[in-house]
Amino acid sequence: MEINTLDLLALISLVTVATALLVGGQGRGGWQLSLLYLLQLVVVASMVMMAGGEGIISTLQFSTVGESIGWRLDGLGLYFLLITVGTAAFVSFYMAGPWGEAYQRDGGSLRWLQVALATNVFTMLLLLASGDLLSLFIGWELASWAAFWMMALAGGIALKVALRYLIYAMVGAMMVFALIVILYGQAGSFGFDEIREASVQMERGTTILVLLLTVAGFGIKMGLLPFHLWQAPAYAETPGPGSAFLGAISSRLGLFAILLVLFRVVDGAWIELYLGFMNPQTLLAWIAVATIIFPTFTAMRQNDARQLLAWHGIGQGGYMLLGIAMMDPLGVAGGMLHIFNHATYQAALFLAVTAVIYRTQTSDLNHLGGLVVRMPLTFATMLVGIIGLAGLPPMNGFVSKWLVYRSLLEQGEVLLFVGAVIGTLGTILSVYKLLHNTFLGSLRLEHQAVREVPITMWMPMILLSGLILLTGIFPGVPLQWVAEAAASIGLPMPQFNLGGVIAEGGSLDMRVISGVLLSGFAIAALIFYGAGSSRRVNPLDNYAGGHFLYASNRYHYSNNFYAGLMHLIKPWYRGIFERLEQIILLLLAVIADLLQGLYLQRQPGRVALVVLVLLLWWSTL
Amino acid sequence: MSNSLALVIALPLLAAFLLQPLAQQLGVGREQRSVAIQLYAQLTIAVTLWITLMLGNGVEQQPLSVMMGGFSAPMGINLYLDRLSLLLLVATQLALLLLWPADATPRIHALMLLLSASSMGLALSGDLFNLYVFYELLAVATFGLVAANSSRSAPLISFRYLLISGLGSVLALSGIALIYSHTGSLNLADISATLQHGDAELPLAAFILILLGIGVKAELFAVNGWVPEVYAIISPRLSALLAGVVSKLAVVVIVRVLLMLFPHPEAAQVLLVLGILGVISGELAAWRAQDLRRMLAYSSIGQLGMIFIAFSLSLEFGMLMGLLLSLHHMVVKPGLFMLTAGKSKRWHMALFVLFALSLVGVPPLPGFWVKLSLLTGLVEAGGALNQLALIVFLGATVIEASYLFRVLQNTLPNPPAVDEGHLTVGWNGLVGVLLGGVLVVTTLSVDPVLEQLKQISSQAGDRNLLISSVVTPSAEQQMVVERDK
Repeated sequence: MEINTLDLLALISLVTVATALLVGGQGRGGWQLSLLYLLQLVVVASMVMMAGGEGIISTLQFSTVGESIGWRLDGLGLYFLLITVGTAAFVSFYMAGPWGEAYQRDGGSLRWLQVALATNVFTMLLLLASGDLLSLFIGWELASWAAFWMMALAGGIALKVALRYLIYAMVGAMMVFALIVILYGQAGSFGFDEIREASVQMERGTTILVLLLTVAGFGIKMGLLPFHLWQAPAYAETPGPGSAFLGAISSRLGLFAILLVLFRVVDGAWIELYLGFMNPQTLLAWIAVATIIFPTFTAMRQNDARQLLAWHGIGQGGYMLLGIAMMDPLGVAGGMLHIFNHATYQAALFLAVTAVIYRTQTSDLNHLGGLVVRMPLTFATMLVGIIGLAGLPPMNGFVSKWLVYRSLLEQGEVLLFVGAVIGTLGTILSVYKLLHNTFLGSLRLEHQAVREVPITMWMPMILLSGLILLTGIFPGVPLQWVAEAAASIGLPMPQFNLGGVIAEGGSLDMRVISGVLLSGFAIAALIFYGAGSSRRVNPLDNYAGGHFLYASNRYHYSNNFYAGLMHLIKPWYRGIFERLEQIILLLLAVIADLLQGLYLQRQPGRVALVVLVLLLWWSTL
Repeated sequence: MSNSLALVIALPLLAAFLLQPLAQQLGVGREQRSVAIQLYAQLTIAVTLWITLMLGNGVEQQPLSVMMGGFSAPMGINLYLDRLSLLLLVATQLALLLLWPADATPRIHALMLLLSASSMGLALSGDLFNLYVFYELLAVATFGLVAANSSRSAPLISFRYLLISGLGSVLALSGIALIYSHTGSLNLADISATLQHGDAELPLAAFILILLGIGVKAELFAVNGWVPEVYAIISPRLSALLAGVVSKLAVVVIVRVLLMLFPHPEAAQVLLVLGILGVISGELAAWRAQDLRRMLAYSSIGQLGMIFIAFSLSLEFGMLMGLLLSLHHMVVKPGLFMLTAGKSKRWHMALFVLFALSLVGVPPLPGFWVKLSLLTGLVEAGGALNQLALIVFLGATVIEASYLFRVLQNTLPNPPAVDEGHLTVGWNGLVGVLLGGVLVVTTLSVDPVLEQLKQISSQAGDRNLLISSVVTPSAEQQMVVERDK
């Protein structure tokens, strides 16, 4: 039997799991794991180089219960896999050093965290390389449970929110289960090609059902509205680097599966379908915009740095879907590029927040401030990260968002565009809150002794920052991967070069934009450093967040940040989704208690008699 | 030689009746006496296991049919051993050996022996009358075991159980009487032959009566009011035995019989509807349950509902699916119950998670493959009720995952530990590990296991084979001649 690169990758991934079991627990000894992830990354990178056409088919194929199961990695899977393995490499390196030792001291088990990470990577490989619906479902289930494991590891509150995730994930998984058995019923096979063929003749009702199950079932994982409530708490409570991994890539699996099913497995005829009020494409776009706006403004209200970031993770998923839902070259490029870009800055931001927690034991934005003088590298990482997240040049987040906006405008979708811009506004405001409350203002007394984090922690952060900047200036590199991914599911791509996208009516060359920007910074720096020493001012002669500061506060205005804005938009926060969830649970509980009452009757035979009489009556009909 | 099949039932019965006098003769101390009696009882079961395995050799080609006392089919008592009953018989015997209560009084041992004899009789009966007799015996033995419980509510709970069970007996007996009045026979093969010749048609009411009647043991919806309370007070081992093995034995035997006699689509619909109601009520009640054992008890109602749904599919496919679900549940449920005994340790939790994952149907564990086949079958069968069943099935899985994994939070208390004596320390856990091992081995060999079970269920669903093996050709001719007169 000949082993190809996909088999090799699976093998290394399994070895990583085994190694994590063996040495994962030894704080500094965990370098072997980083090496193994790096090896995986090399294999994936080599596959990206050589990819094209049919993709790589694993030699491991077997058939069970009369159905064959196989794995096949093509451009789409490779793109997601590259992000997955890359994130894991950064994260495991970060975990293995002093952070891991501190985690052990606090009673956590570093070994199981490492094993959970390696298992997540392996199960995601299984999912991303799925070659038929059966292996897709197996990979989906395993990846969902692996994520649950990672979330629940810390116990306590983490377990509680992980159980909430579990319910959502199971609802999603069962929708997917229904989807695959329905498609199987149509085609008599789990094979992609057979289903594509059979789906041409699918009835209207079945097509709508398939669309619904696909978007809702897989969409739960990516936190699409209204299934988003689980995500932020679950990711935020996952132990530090774990949350970086989950936040960067885990929820994107939902998008992967939606893309795979809608554009590869099922025939494209669904695009023309009319649902009675709008077509599926527009509906998808509006769901995406809702997913951008609501979670982003919820993020702005958070006072915990991890919660804030996790809420943004949901919102940013909306941009990805919005771009892809446009189905034109610019939108697809933007939406799919945003997956990579989001992974880089989200990982950097979570790692930076974890670094702050490592030194100060808190991520409460009301109890931090002024850390820039103590942790300059962490500050730099967060600065780069939030510029990326807010979608401003020269960081990579700008490129993908620009492409999405351009696509919206070209398609004449003004309302969607306004929605996306409102979301971006919320993002900018809230990430400024994150940076300001953590690093700016005056240093708190209890943080006087804080130092920068050790090199094993700042190095991955700085490398990620470099990546965010570099892929911002040269988006052509990730766009190449995106092009392979889009090609494998038959989506269009614009022309692009190293510096950006070439399009009619305005190209984007980030090399020029960044050049202008950076020279602007250079001039500003020259003025700043050339103008002599700075002047001290009275604390009363100052303001923050659009508000005057009074003598009673020291400048660090973090508590009740954006009070004015919050006052304005407060009526919009009614927690409708939270209430909806509670109402459903309450209704279910009432029904459940009534049904339980059937079993707790004083006369146990009563129900039996009623049912008997009904059935006998029915049998005479 | 083949007559020794009767020994499988007779030996435990005899042992049960001899136990009391023997125990009185034993002059040794209380401690040794208890050990001796347990050894005696378990040895009896081991002997029946040995006999079963010896007889089971040739069953693959030709089922074994024994006419007691040499009377031929319609008249005599008929024991019937095919691959399905062999499998159930061996599973029951193994479960009895593993889950035998330790450190119990002679009376409990005697009741357990009665329970063994009657469940083996259920598995082997070839006619409706004996089915009924063994079913009654099983009920009596179970009352005794529940009532012997030391908890204060035991008398009340076993009385309620008695009420439902009594109702069930009356229903089953009237159903059997209806069948007799239509066909003039109680022998399954004989009735099947009559039906096949088109000489008679059975009324659906008979099906409903028997199903509800015998459904009491099988935790069928509407006659399962006894389940949660009984499982909450009896020991985990007994719960494991009753919920895990005996209930499944009842389901498989009864449903198999009924599906053979009632090929009506309406009969399948009744099964489907009651199954759906069982799933909904059981799973939701389990979700709200306040302690671990009640949760598992309600959950087993839901699981049996799923088994009924499976059986409602076409005869052959439904038989296979029902059998698969039953066997899976037979491994998982006792495993879960065994883990509720005593203080939970870390590896207990790991094992609990393994069982729960398989129950929820996470690939590649066996539970997933069963669910996959069942769901594709439901889609294929089509129809509004089957689609409803599909939705209920999926919804129930979500609820199942929710309550099973809530256990990880350790917020569900165990009811006060049932004293199982010092002999059992570690044994419950060991059985749990063993069952977990069975699950893992099955995961690794899904295909061969499935192949075997397919053959078993197709043999069990073969009407002609049943008729030809029980009713000898000459006897059948004779019957036809008599009927023609």
